[in-house]
Amino acid sequence: MTTTSTASDIKPDARAGFDGRRLGGWAKEQYPLYILILLLIIAGFSTSAFFTTQNLTNLVLQASVIGIVTLAQFIVVLTGGIDISVGSVVGLAGVLAAGLFSGTSVPLAILVAVLTGAAIGAINGWLVAFRGLEAFIVTLGMLALARGLVYAYTEGIPVSPDATDFRAIASSTVLGFPLIGILWLLLAVVIAFLVRRTVFGRRVYASGSNKEAARAAGIPVRSTIFLVYVIAGVLSGFAGFLLASRVGVGTPTAGTGYELNAIAAVVIGGTSLVGGKGRVFGAVVGTLIFAVISNLLVLLNVSTYLQDAFRGALILVAVLLTTIQFSKRKKAKQLT
Amino acid sequence: MSDQSSTKTVAFDVVGVSKKYPGVTALDDVSLTGYAGEVLAICGANGAGKSTLARLLAGQEQPTDGSIHIPGWDKPVSGPADAADAGILLMHQEPMIIDDFSVAENVWLRGLSSAGKVRPWGLVPRNRTKATREVLAKVGLQDVSPDRLGRELGPGLRQMLALSRTQVNEHSVLLLDETTASTTEEHFKDVLALVEKERSAGVSVVFVSHRMPEVFSMADRIAVLRNGRLVDVVATRDTTPAEVMTLMIGQAVSAIEAPTTVSAGGAPALTVNALTSGSATDISFSVQPGEVLGIYGLVGSGRSSILRSISGNQSRDSGTVTVSGRVVRAKSPGDAAAQGIAYLTEDRRREGFVKDFTNGENMTLATLKHFSTFGIINRRKENARISELISEYQVKGGPTTYTRTLSGGNQQKVVIAKWLEARPDVVLLDEPTKGIDVGARMNIYQIVRSLADDGKAVVVVTSEAEEALMLCNRILVLKEGRFVGEFTPATSTTDDLIRASLAGETA
Repeated sequence: MTTTSTASDIKPDARAGFDGRRLGGWAKEQYPLYILILLLIIAGFSTSAFFTTQNLTNLVLQASVIGIVTLAQFIVVLTGGIDISVGSVVGLAGVLAAGLFSGTSVPLAILVAVLTGAAIGAINGWLVAFRGLEAFIVTLGMLALARGLVYAYTEGIPVSPDATDFRAIASSTVLGFPLIGILWLLLAVVIAFLVRRTVFGRRVYASGSNKEAARAAGIPVRSTIFLVYVIAGVLSGFAGFLLASRVGVGTPTAGTGYELNAIAAVVIGGTSLVGGKGRVFGAVVGTLIFAVISNLLVLLNVSTYLQDAFRGALILVAVLLTTIQFSKRKKAKQLT
Repeated sequence: MSDQSSTKTVAFDVVGVSKKYPGVTALDDVSLTGYAGEVLAICGANGAGKSTLARLLAGQEQPTDGSIHIPGWDKPVSGPADAADAGILLMHQEPMIIDDFSVAENVWLRGLSSAGKVRPWGLVPRNRTKATREVLAKVGLQDVSPDRLGRELGPGLRQMLALSRTQVNEHSVLLLDETTASTTEEHFKDVLALVEKERSAGVSVVFVSHRMPEVFSMADRIAVLRNGRLVDVVATRDTTPAEVMTLMIGQAVSAIEAPTTVSAGGAPALTVNALTSGSATDISFSVQPGEVLGIYGLVGSGRSSILRSISGNQSRDSGTVTVSGRVVRAKSPGDAAAQGIAYLTEDRRREGFVKDFTNGENMTLATLKHFSTFGIINRRKENARISELISEYQVKGGPTTYTRTLSGGNQQKVVIAKWLEARPDVVLLDEPTKGIDVGARMNIYQIVRSLADDGKAVVVVTSEAEEALMLCNRILVLKEGRFVGEFTPATSTTDDLIRASLAGETA
């Protein structure tokens, strides 16, 4: 349509128009963000205790560890897989970080946690990518295996580290903002860059969307998927250390049920469970939605038993919302 | 047609039936009558409308115009359950066997059909081993145990197992849609015997095929379809295979400028020696730079196996492949691409492009390294190249449109652009115009010819003789995994190619 002579003249205009459309398109797909904003408004009106520095700090502290686990889940789900062993990895990495070498050095503890996660991720990845097993069943086995190791290692008793500065990372703040929250957002940016800007990331999307086409295009699909599970393991392991650092001890039950939260946050954030579609931003927003709800339920003194039911209901509603097209909703509203 | 048939009982009556799909008329005003105790063959080239007619007869689709009458059934047949009640039994090209069911369960599969009634309390009858054995014996499967699983049977046995349902289900019309395509000579005898039995039992047998020997060994009458129209119905004893084939082919579509033969003087860009893989056996050929070589053959003749094994999409049992003098043994498609071989798949939707990717992302997928440093993609560089490619190949919708939303022709342009970015020496195209409408085809042909003009060696696999003659400098004809003839467009006709691919006789 355009000849080469006019292409240079058209470009600036086209780009400006293009950006505007992109913004519109972006805004149209951000329903998780609107849910979050709505929740914040509701929270602000329902209790004065919500928008206080102490409560918001608390909220960020709670969200950060799960947020990092959600990032791990996000990258796995992008490939069309699932990792339900993340919670157990958090637990195992936490107790090992606090217990191995008696937890005398914080850098060593971080290294232990990250390597524990990487090792479990490598086993998951090898079984899924190279042995062709179902991600669900592989990581289900790993969930039980890793949690079992946690109890075997701790015998059910929390492990106290020797290092006096073990809690430093989790408790320190930068300009009043919890460091742990900054770490979470930093990792989110890193993962966003990884999936959006690198060759590896493009391969992850391609493998998740269409394995055959990716393979036919010369992409090493198996090693890509393998590496994704290793990265997920590293993230979960690091989250495990942070959790132990926050609590001050390696708790055997740490991270239990995180897989449910992480999967739900990823899905609410608009990532397709079939793979190939999703944004890190969505996963971050998804995490915040869950954190705000949990926080609010505590502030409103809702019974702990009901809180779980609320969370479950939210997952169902959110997933249902993702199936309804934006335009369809608009049409239905016009009719009534 | 003949006086004899008019005295027979009508089994089905097709009156002025047309079937239109968006953009395509698959069947155009076809009228045809089938009689009890007669075998009617329906012949035609690929895309002539034979399978459409079979599907309409079986009630799997409804005609756009006209009607189909079955005596004793006063409404249109819609859906498989309806067809079974009306006494129509359709045998597919791919036998409908449930892999995880036993042979016996597969025989009595029809018992699971509730024909619109849902009765979850209905029990599956047990202990029918004796009855099963009797049924199996009638179709020559007396040696097959009723307890074996469907998946354990080879293609020939599977087809015969599917055909055993003719002994179980009441029917007055038996449709065989290319049923013999996957059967061997040995099982063909069993099919023939079965058809004889059906005929003498007063069943109207409709046999859809393009295999002349089989058609002539069993049919009483032959109906020939061409481009959706019924050309003629002839009595088998009054005609010859050659005549029927001429009817099938008709007038060849006039070609664009005829490709000339490329002199075989220089060193070939691609040499394949004694390649065996899948159904392709002992294949040897070479392609010059600047030459378009056509491989023509029917579906299942091993065409794709040749290209897929050269390009690392499929392993090969033996043989060597040489590209510009270097021996190439591609273990994966990426490996092949790195060594100068690009393969454009027949199955675009599955293998050609990534469904959640835009045109731009798909175009650079095979060559991301060109646009990245230390694994980080340089977006500006990538987008600039994408814009160039979009205008070069005139892809509709621009860089940010999802490739899956485009027409077949535009999708194919995206796939071509992707592979040419890898700057291959050898381009292998598997059915490049499959699912692409006539207008866009010419566009694809021009792109393919320009590849050759740029000095690349091009191999095109096609099941359309006209396309082969229009596009290729030289054509090899493949039959049952082996080359049976070599043709040049200047001295050959579509007739020659089809004849060679069917009968295996070189002109």
